[in-house]
Amino acid sequence: MIIDIIQILALGISLGGVYALMGSGLSLVFGVMRIVNLAHPAMIMGGAYVAYWAFRLAGADPIAMLPVAVLILAATGLVLYKLVFEREAQSARYSEMTVLLTFALAMVVEGLLGAMFTNTQRITSPEYATDAYFVGDVFVPKGQLFAAVTSVAIISALALFLKYSRFGNAIRATTQNREAAQLLGVNVNHVCLVSFAIGVGLAGAAGALVSFVFSFFPSKHWEWIVILMSLVVLGGMGSVLGTVLAAFILATASVFVGFYFGATWSTLTFFVALFVVLLVRPQGIFGEKPELA
Amino acid sequence: MKTSKAIVVTIAATLAATASTAEIKIGASLPLTGSFSIAGSKHEQGYELCVDLINQRGGILGEQVKLIISDNRSDPATAINQFERFINVDQVDAVFGTFSSRLSFPVANILEKNGYVHPLPAGGALRIYTQGHERVFYFQPNAAEYVGATLQGVIEDLVPADNRPTTAAVVAADDFFANAIEAGLLGTKVTDPGDGSLVEDMAPGFLVDTGIEIVYSEKWPEEGFNDWINLANSIKRSGAELIVALTASAEETVQITRALQTVRAEPKMVYYSQGTQSEFYEGTGDASESVMTHTSWHPEVPFSGVLAGEEFTNQDFVDAFKAKFEEMPDEDSAIPFAVCQGIEQSILGAGSTDNGEMAAWLKARTNDDPVRTILGRFSWDSRGLAIDKPFLMAQWNGGELQFIYPTDEFPGVAMMSYPKQGF
Repeated sequence: MIIDIIQILALGISLGGVYALMGSGLSLVFGVMRIVNLAHPAMIMGGAYVAYWAFRLAGADPIAMLPVAVLILAATGLVLYKLVFEREAQSARYSEMTVLLTFALAMVVEGLLGAMFTNTQRITSPEYATDAYFVGDVFVPKGQLFAAVTSVAIISALALFLKYSRFGNAIRATTQNREAAQLLGVNVNHVCLVSFAIGVGLAGAAGALVSFVFSFFPSKHWEWIVILMSLVVLGGMGSVLGTVLAAFILATASVFVGFYFGATWSTLTFFVALFVVLLVRPQGIFGEKPELA
Repeated sequence: MKTSKAIVVTIAATLAATASTAEIKIGASLPLTGSFSIAGSKHEQGYELCVDLINQRGGILGEQVKLIISDNRSDPATAINQFERFINVDQVDAVFGTFSSRLSFPVANILEKNGYVHPLPAGGALRIYTQGHERVFYFQPNAAEYVGATLQGVIEDLVPADNRPTTAAVVAADDFFANAIEAGLLGTKVTDPGDGSLVEDMAPGFLVDTGIEIVYSEKWPEEGFNDWINLANSIKRSGAELIVALTASAEETVQITRALQTVRAEPKMVYYSQGTQSEFYEGTGDASESVMTHTSWHPEVPFSGVLAGEEFTNQDFVDAFKAKFEEMPDEDSAIPFAVCQGIEQSILGAGSTDNGEMAAWLKARTNDDPVRTILGRFSWDSRGLAIDKPFLMAQWNGGELQFIYPTDEFPGVAMMSYPKQGF
């Protein structure tokens, strides 16, 4: 029994680490810009393809390729923001508009990836991807562990940047109160631009890690959006820390459910969490309760 | 006067153009994106190659064939809409079937209602053939429920009695096709989803019939499942000597194989319902060693068919495919190619694209006078299932997919490697 619990925690925490990075960029972008970026998982796919082709053509390790994936996707984020989102920023229905925009963007990205790389499934295969550390009867998959450790390192760096850098303070100020930040001299548009690029860059980083944990193909992102949304909602819309915590909680819960109740039910964990949180505590763990008008 | 002349000239030109561009239109809705996209894209290649070769040889009944392909995104509702569009808007002369039982089952009703011949490249669930449809024709050896008979044959014919697996873990995608194979292996009842009536009782099941005890069985949802390592760990903990993973796509086969490798499972034998694709080997490498999967086609099987009235062998197909796509085909391209051959032969046999006549001609085929394809000879029973065609069992060895069973049908059968030496 104890061994089983330790095994569940080992698998849940390592899987949660992967989900944490996948969801953190989504959360950051929502926190700063109030954009529910439905194209975020499609961007993750972009990062996965960067890692895949580097691995296939040059044998490059996907974790080593992570900075490249971040740079390419962050640059893509800058361009996308300028082309798609900036002009809508003054719209009275900005949030609603961006849901439609990002939905359309997800389809465009999927189409482009399909046209460029075909719709066949891909996965990278560094040696650690299918290996594990065994301690007695308990094991930890190396692939998920390495991905989780890398993920936590990146998120920690992001947290330090947000807390201690001048620009990080500007991002946090914009997250907390956009108008007040603007009155205090924060260039909100510039903050949004950089935040969006960071968010998409995080998607690139997550993609590099995902490339050896899960197989992927252009339309796979539709399966991920529910998982990521449940993390963001449980953590509190816009709270990166909350998303990370939710990732570990829900991943462990899904492994627990799969272990004791069967694989059929493990995926349901995320859907149930989404519904329950929206019903019971819509602001999530760290989100603020919306003020009544 | 001038206006009248212009109208007459325009009508004449239009008629002339119509006459000169007479063509046979064939529609195919395929899952080019979504969870079945690997197989769907390969089906597209098979259909395209076949139509190209037919057109290069002068078309069918002197008319060029125009192939209309739509992407149904692996979604049944979209597949239905697209076939309805083929029928009502494009007014196609014939259709090619789609991939997977999940998509083929609802599509079968639409095509039957509109009187179209429905040639299925994939869609092995028995329930598709027990709806009373008159014009369905399955271009694979048998319904998925009976795939287990081939696995039983492999174990009983190729494995010494004192070294056979005695326990099995059977895990399956909650998918039409995977559920059908599972029903045969585990011996459950197949029922009609419409009225709940019994279609076939598969008891006691092929595994029990082989003397194998089922020690673990589990299902995973058909979409969004990521907990592969947890599932693989449960399989390993069951201690099963035979692992049966009834996957619905090559992607799932890669995932379950990598997870079993990660947890260091050590079964004697592994069988998957999907895994003939090169993508499987690319994603699993040496872990694929000794993995078995059933198949309807193999490049080295000496089948010989007919295309445009001329002999067209399996080797001709492999050569043509490599020339056009610069890669080796697998069964997901070969089976739709055979479907296309069947439709071509039925149009030639009927002398027109009257689907009623085409169906009658297909139904009249016998073992001695069959439809001849690169998958071999086809004639069908009253349900639309092929008569007297065995599945092949293939096995990955040294990065090659070799066919190992049956051993007495063709030359070139490889030795089965057994037991499997880990992943």
